[in-house]
Amino acid sequence: MDALLLSQYVLSGLVIGVIYSLMALGITFIYSIMKMINWSMGEFYMIGSYVQYAVIVNLVGPRHWYLAVPLAMGAVFVLGLIIQRFLLRPMFVGGVERRDEYATVMTIALMVLFRNLAIVLGGPNQYAPPDYARPVTLGTLPISGNRFVALIGTLVLLGLFYLVIKKTWIGRALRGAAQNRVGIQTAGIDVLRLDMLAFGVGVALAAAAGALLAPDFLVYPENGAISTFKGFEIIVIGGLGSILGSVVGGVLLGVIEALGSVFISAAYKDLYGFLLLIVLLVFRPTGLFGERERSV
Amino acid sequence: MIERIRVALLTALLIVSLAVPALAQKPVKIGVLTPLSPPGDAAAGQFIVRGAKMGAEEVNARGGVLGGRKIELVIEDDSGTPEKGAAGFRKLATQDQAVAVVGQFHSSVMTAVQVLAEQFKVPVFSTQASARQITEKHLNFTFRTHVIDPDRCVMWTRWAKERGFKRVALITENTDYGVGLVDETKKAFASMYPGAELKTVIFDRAVVDLTPQLLEIKNWKPDALFNGGIGTPTYLIAKQAWDVGLTPAVPTLISYDAPSRPEYWKNLGEKGNYASFIVYYHPTMRLTGRGEAFRKKYMAEFKEDPIYGALNGYAQVVLLADALNAAKSDNTDALLKALLAGKFEGWNGTISFTHGEGPYWQQWSPPMLVIQYAKPEMPFADAKIIYPAELKTGDWVAAPKP
Repeated sequence: MDALLLSQYVLSGLVIGVIYSLMALGITFIYSIMKMINWSMGEFYMIGSYVQYAVIVNLVGPRHWYLAVPLAMGAVFVLGLIIQRFLLRPMFVGGVERRDEYATVMTIALMVLFRNLAIVLGGPNQYAPPDYARPVTLGTLPISGNRFVALIGTLVLLGLFYLVIKKTWIGRALRGAAQNRVGIQTAGIDVLRLDMLAFGVGVALAAAAGALLAPDFLVYPENGAISTFKGFEIIVIGGLGSILGSVVGGVLLGVIEALGSVFISAAYKDLYGFLLLIVLLVFRPTGLFGERERSV
Repeated sequence: MIERIRVALLTALLIVSLAVPALAQKPVKIGVLTPLSPPGDAAAGQFIVRGAKMGAEEVNARGGVLGGRKIELVIEDDSGTPEKGAAGFRKLATQDQAVAVVGQFHSSVMTAVQVLAEQFKVPVFSTQASARQITEKHLNFTFRTHVIDPDRCVMWTRWAKERGFKRVALITENTDYGVGLVDETKKAFASMYPGAELKTVIFDRAVVDLTPQLLEIKNWKPDALFNGGIGTPTYLIAKQAWDVGLTPAVPTLISYDAPSRPEYWKNLGEKGNYASFIVYYHPTMRLTGRGEAFRKKYMAEFKEDPIYGALNGYAQVVLLADALNAAKSDNTDALLKALLAGKFEGWNGTISFTHGEGPYWQQWSPPMLVIQYAKPEMPFADAKIIYPAELKTGDWVAAPKP
């Protein structure tokens, strides 16, 4: 086995795994607070990439691409707030009996709607924002500057997210809501507002991934499909509802895919993550950091 | 009583006299089933629709077909997926009662709909679907006016041999087209280029991160890279191959004419430079009178040179109009006979359909050329033809050593 190739694959897997963990974090965060799976995460990733492209091309220019990232996240955050307020809140206040089914149907409907809207508004073709940076060599791995920027951006966002969740009042409230939605209300916290915030933040994380990866993975109506796919793989590996699990799961998925590529074939790269997922589901159904649900 | 009969007869006469012109004016419908949304190559579909519409306009402007009936196009999106293609074809054949269907681009979709074409007895035309099996099955209602993959693979094998590239890597997608490219290229290398090595990598079409596959290829140290993506994967391969340092140091040849589209430079920028690619049309080519008129009209309308898909979409519609007139009927059996018996003016030659051997069944092939971009943002019309030797307008340019 060529050591150079092995190190390149592992590094490549680590980089993409960390970036995909942003998607997984968004999915798991929304699940933790709202107890629902957002099946349209990939479409928020896609919207983030479109906003990024539109802002760079029409507003800030290629040299100031970094200004577009917070704008893309902000736009998708606001969109998330609106969607949560008008389409998802009825789950909790509208007397919906089957909340899980409601959330599934609603978010799948949103997925179809956004994909088709993207075709109507942006056309079916692909776009690519100009490169954020020149290619770099990360250890032994030659990668695009865009991917390196995406890695740094992801690490910054993960750090910020950790700080907000662990060190701020709102973070404590969100953790409380994740543990016990009813209990937190007895402390005078408006859990419906927290839902809105969680949904907005969760989809903004997906938008950040879309914006950061736009020059590498292009901008087109279905570009969010594979990242959603990976995001769900990661949360099952890491454990649904676990923030640490999404980061570790992302890294693990990336490395497993890399090792499979080295020792078997790169052609089946996406298969190896599923093998890991199946093994984990057999021996640890809650994922690496997930906890068994308790009820009384 | 007689008065009543007279009124009834006059009424019947009136109805018949009104109905006859209405029937005469009933348009002849031609379906255009093509990818207009992802995951299909939607840009290709748009160009095909453009050409088909211009074909219908031209036919209608000169009085239509079958003594004054207009051609009406019914456009359906197959999204590049067999299931949507099959649903679209069923609708065109049954609900719309199209007399023929043109616009097929993806081989996987064409393979699915040609079975339905046989079932509904509606001729289907491959506009840019090139897999061998499409015409090799010898189906009566399948026609193609596009190259076939065995010829494409023979051509790029010859190109590699002529350039002295002894280690060639082919990366392609897991579609009928991609798998076909792998099979045909292996055959071509084995028979025409013994001693040369071919490495093939097939990836899932939905995958966006091709870094591991491209690193594997880079580590194998190829002399040339064949890019067998269609639509978005073409650009992903080109971008990421450049990012991992594989291209432009390793020359690349793209399997079809995607780089001739205006979106190419927008998507790739400098990463698209030095790419060679296979085309079936070049602005310097001599066209038929019909083709030349189309090119002029297209350039006046869209302010750019036509793309091959548009030329072929146009040619298929006017060819069908000619065949309908020859058949003197919109009955599909009569149309089929006329298609097989006739010679039709295409955009760059006379098209006829014969029952040839193997995949050359009801098949007409345009020329194939390899051209190359030698500087960033190079207009398609300025790109030189580098292969075959007899049609060369310039030499292949190697990228400078890093």
